[in-house]
Amino acid sequence: MEVLIEPFEAEFVRTGAIAAALVGVLCGVVGCYVILRGMALMADSLAHGVLPGIAVAFALTAEAGGGEPDKLAIALGAVVAGLVTAMATNAVLRRSPVRPDTAAAVVFVLMLALGVVLISRVEGYSVDLTAFLFGDVLGVGEGEVVVSAVAVAAVLALVALLYRPFLLVSFDRQRAAAAGVPVDRLELMLLVVVTVAVVIGFQVVGALLVLGLLMAPPAAAALLTRRLPAMMAVSAAIAAASAPLGLLLSWHLDLAAGASIVLVAVSAFVVLVVLRPAAE
Amino acid sequence: MKGAAALTARGLDVSFGGTPALVDVSLEIPSGSRVAVLGPNGAGKSTLFAAAVGLVAADRGSIELHSRRVAFVPQHLDVDPTFPVTVADVVRMGRYGDLGWWRRFAERDRGLVADALDVLGIGSLGRRRFGTLSGGERQRALLAQAVAQDAEIVLLDEPLTGVDVPTQEAIRELLGRWHRAGRTVVVATHDLASATRDYDLVLCLNRRVVAFGPPEAATTEEVLYETFAGRIVRVGGLMVDVSEHHHVE
Repeated sequence: MEVLIEPFEAEFVRTGAIAAALVGVLCGVVGCYVILRGMALMADSLAHGVLPGIAVAFALTAEAGGGEPDKLAIALGAVVAGLVTAMATNAVLRRSPVRPDTAAAVVFVLMLALGVVLISRVEGYSVDLTAFLFGDVLGVGEGEVVVSAVAVAAVLALVALLYRPFLLVSFDRQRAAAAGVPVDRLELMLLVVVTVAVVIGFQVVGALLVLGLLMAPPAAAALLTRRLPAMMAVSAAIAAASAPLGLLLSWHLDLAAGASIVLVAVSAFVVLVVLRPAAE
Repeated sequence: MKGAAALTARGLDVSFGGTPALVDVSLEIPSGSRVAVLGPNGAGKSTLFAAAVGLVAADRGSIELHSRRVAFVPQHLDVDPTFPVTVADVVRMGRYGDLGWWRRFAERDRGLVADALDVLGIGSLGRRRFGTLSGGERQRALLAQAVAQDAEIVLLDEPLTGVDVPTQEAIRELLGRWHRAGRTVVVATHDLASATRDYDLVLCLNRRVVAFGPPEAATTEEVLYETFAGRIVRVGGLMVDVSEHHHVE
């Protein structure tokens, strides 16, 4: 029992576990739409597309803050860059005959390259780039947990309010359009929701690993459930449980914290695939 | 309502990447009528439906449905077999248009859903996951959704293609039921015999409107040859569309 409790006696681990669990619930729910709509590459693109916004926000606020950037500005910069990524992908799709995955990949590398170029011009950013890519779950402060909790609650409330139209658009956009659902606006709203989930998530587990929380728990839940509400609940539970379990592994085996959380989440999917549970 | 227009198109042009899909399409479909849309694959039948529901934009001209209560059953639905909806969920979605985004299901809504499952003979499949159904069962579930929608205008894109005989029969019964209820039903089909027998109006389409009117006027041999660009043969007393192995029964 001591083995299970010991890591969480440290306050920074407890805080990190709560932050990661919050992000897990958000990504677990939002990720259901990501996999149902085949938006995996789009989500990856968003996760990396936020980089230029972060670099600009860093450059604008770090000097005034004595080298310490404004975290709210960083989050806002990330959201704006994420939306630019989503809209640029949409524009490429509408103006050329390329496939959706190609459009997402082209914009993804464009934004990533732009982010790295901008970062190379910002003094003192190299250390923070590591935090961007891999997160810093054990460095999350209590204030950030509160902000994250509010943001997570707001996004989940929005997802609940838009449950029916999101389901209609995800199931069949043609029928949704015929039923009078504003398909384009809802698809944009869905991209905004995924972007916000990515922005909240990357600060905890990093841009590279947030995709793991967006993809693995919903994929695992899809193997166990027949209906979307159940899929969302199971997915959120798997993602949230991955936080303390991952930190437990990280503590005892001296592993990177964020990566351990994502490894646990992905392991749940792998185990279920191997066991091949009946979906019916 | 009968006699007023359910759908109006005026000089409609639609293209994809510079390739015209519909050219100068003008027509008016009266409310309460049954309309068969005939044409070879690539004639623009699906594009006409997509333009009507606002999924593709017109390059020129306009197309308008004169009701907000529209049900559309597209030709192909490639649903991920793991998509987490049951058959009952799919049919319940038909009520979302009336209920809006938040209003709860009332007795009438539940009754419409149960009736729709019943009419299509899939009441026993309600708890099955949609992705595990056969092609015919899926088509029945999607039609049940359209029934539950209680729409004034129903657009069906080749509902008989690739389904079993009992499902074809169920669809024919459904078309009769909608007609008796005064609904406007527009059906894209390759079934020439049915088009001349079961519908009030026939639209022969090959990117342009070749003919539009009562079956006896709009399905003359000359019109059908022009519509199908010669890919049509006479077998006994029937014209048969041989453009993509589509046959009349």
